[in-house]
Amino acid sequence: MSRTAKILSSLFILFWVLTAFVPALIAPADPLAINPSQAFQAPSGAHIFGTDESGRDVFTRVIHGAGDSLYIGLAATALGMGLALVLGTAAALAPRWLDEVILRVLEALYSVPSLLMALLIIAFTGPGVGPAIVAVGLSTAPGYARLVRSQIRTLKNSEMLEAATVLGRGTWLKVRNHLVPNALQPLLALVTLGIGQAVIWAAALSFLGLGTPPPAPEWGAMLSAGRTYLHLAWWLSFFPGLAIVVVAAGATLIGRALGGKVKAL
Amino acid sequence: MNPLLAVDNLCVSFAGQQAVNDVSFELNAGECLALVGESGSGKSVTARSLLGLSGGTVSAEKLMVCQEDALTLTEPAWQKIRGSSVVMILQDALMALDPLRPVGREIEDVLKEHGTLNSKARRVQVIEALASVDLPDPERRMKQRSTQLSGGMRQRVLIAQALIGDPQIVIADEATTALDSRLAALVLKQLAALKNEGRAVLMISHDLAQVAQLADRIAVMRAGKIVESGTTEQILNHPQHEYTRTLLRAIPSGVPRFAPLSIKATASEPRQLPPTEPDTTPALVVENLSKSFAKHPAVIEAGFVLPRGSTLGLVGESGSGKTTTARMILGLERPDAGSVTLLGERFVPHSEAARRSLRENIGAIYQNPLGSFDPRYSVGQILTDALSAGRSKRASGYKDQVARLLEQVELDPALSGRNPRELSGGQRQRLAIARALAPEPQVLVLDEPVSALDVSIQATILDLLDRLQQETGTSYLFISHDLSVIEHMSDLVAVMYQGRIVEQGSTAEVFGDPQHEYTRSLLTAMPRLR
Repeated sequence: MSRTAKILSSLFILFWVLTAFVPALIAPADPLAINPSQAFQAPSGAHIFGTDESGRDVFTRVIHGAGDSLYIGLAATALGMGLALVLGTAAALAPRWLDEVILRVLEALYSVPSLLMALLIIAFTGPGVGPAIVAVGLSTAPGYARLVRSQIRTLKNSEMLEAATVLGRGTWLKVRNHLVPNALQPLLALVTLGIGQAVIWAAALSFLGLGTPPPAPEWGAMLSAGRTYLHLAWWLSFFPGLAIVVVAAGATLIGRALGGKVKAL
Repeated sequence: MNPLLAVDNLCVSFAGQQAVNDVSFELNAGECLALVGESGSGKSVTARSLLGLSGGTVSAEKLMVCQEDALTLTEPAWQKIRGSSVVMILQDALMALDPLRPVGREIEDVLKEHGTLNSKARRVQVIEALASVDLPDPERRMKQRSTQLSGGMRQRVLIAQALIGDPQIVIADEATTALDSRLAALVLKQLAALKNEGRAVLMISHDLAQVAQLADRIAVMRAGKIVESGTTEQILNHPQHEYTRTLLRAIPSGVPRFAPLSIKATASEPRQLPPTEPDTTPALVVENLSKSFAKHPAVIEAGFVLPRGSTLGLVGESGSGKTTTARMILGLERPDAGSVTLLGERFVPHSEAARRSLRENIGAIYQNPLGSFDPRYSVGQILTDALSAGRSKRASGYKDQVARLLEQVELDPALSGRNPRELSGGQRQRLAIARALAPEPQVLVLDEPVSALDVSIQATILDLLDRLQQETGTSYLFISHDLSVIEHMSDLVAVMYQGRIVEQGSTAEVFGDPQHEYTRSLLTAMPRLR
């Protein structure tokens, strides 16, 4: 990564972290405050993103929605990657028959379209933030797990670890010094890519009414709510949509840059 | 008679970088010219520009290929010449042949492109061509794919493919480099036959000993220029240029033990081991090691003794079981039977935990050192890790020791901040040696340590290993397919063939009076200058 890219990425991440944790710093107003007299105001100096059907400020809602959207994205990725690390590492290090079993299970899960699987999970649990996290996390796990497995397998059989064995390093030192750091580096890039993806998914579930319940400001839900008024107030859907695009694209770009040398991506 | 190839002041550059500079030579029918130089000297680029394949900007005062002005040829005109008038035999036959098509079809393509024969006549020609390069059972082989053939067969297929268009000029680009000495001798024989048929042969190689058998004239290239050219006799016996002398000197065959191969190395001093240690326990005792992979025996009852402070050379072709033997000795592969005793203590078979305390006594050097380094570590960190027994790559207090190790292997201590990827092949191997030396082992297992290196770099590494052995008294198990390297480095030699050690003894005995049929065939195939 070049210096400029590093600075830009850091600023990008800093901005969204701030937005997620202290939204009031950027948008001090109340995202739920209704003001029917101000409904459907087009973007202007007073309301830079305009107002919605109840007169709520869209900018304030987009900023306050960052918390939920990013929380779902991060938590889902963490869940998916956590599961993947356990399953993938187990498969890579396990005896052959166990590896085969885990692989077959992963392949079966992988063959189900992820969104379909997420819908299936929500069909059991009912909508909500928690179920959305679980749904997105579980449905991304098989893909990650296969990558983790191949990553660790390659490393396990590498000349590097053999050389460490010859130098007399025990299992713990080999895992700590060589296996884990070398496996994690490409996964870090993968996680960043995954966060962008998970944000989109979370929004998609909310859009379908299966994520965050209204009136909480969540990007997918706002997008969905604005759909009804698209012909007279485009800004209701446009700005939450823009936020999703910016976060997803940003995360993807950073992930690509981090994983620049990783062939698996 | 006009020469088939006439090159005058050929220059090739890539994006402004000069790769070939003012190269001139001629090649007549029935003659063999060898372009000799190290990797990066521009010899391959020169050869490729004779086929219009250099990929760079070519300029020359004269570039005549088969009486045609190559500077004005268009791509379609080149295609007519390639394969019919000029052909090139490449180094890596596995890469050069399509793995999904039968080799017979690959050869037939040349006839389709350049001839007017029908498919039946073409088939007959293909079989003839394969028979002419001594490929056994050509009718069956032509239906097989390149992956089903052995390395030697593939190389012969490539030669057959080159010959079928009846070319006037044959360019052999490192065509023998990847082959074992017996196969290399076979390919050289084929090339000699081509020359005697009246074709012009241009050999590209880094190995003077190899080309000396065939070439009439030799041109030595360095950094894009021909530094010296002349008849083979002149170059070998009366080299004028300093660089030619360096190359000649670097050839290890026939050079006595510990005599330096590179100019820089200081003449060897007598062994300075403390006389107080008359320890007669052998460094390594290998007994009856056997290993099969999926019922296919790889090593069969291999056994030898490596005395302290000496070198045992394990020689054999690829696939003979050398590396499997080394891996069993290092405890990386569990043998089916047999044992390894290191300094009088049992090392194999043993549990890894029980073996670990003995590990500091045995080190290993591989053919490809880069793969054995953690890619995240710098040179200094690799050595710190080795010195601190893996406690930390950033551990402080090892700086002096790291510098001392680097000096010991003649590397600049300033390199310690670099990543090994930024080092040259020779430097990487030095780093690998430094790392192996860190725990001050008694035994080093060196598996093809110089096979990937140019001859002159190989010479400096061999000199370094010699010096280190004299300074530290470390015993070497030196594994190589290269007889000349083994002859120069070893006190004892064990010859491996199809998983068995077929002959062993002192170097003088084995090389002077070989008993086994296989050893004799290896030695006759070995190129010698001295």
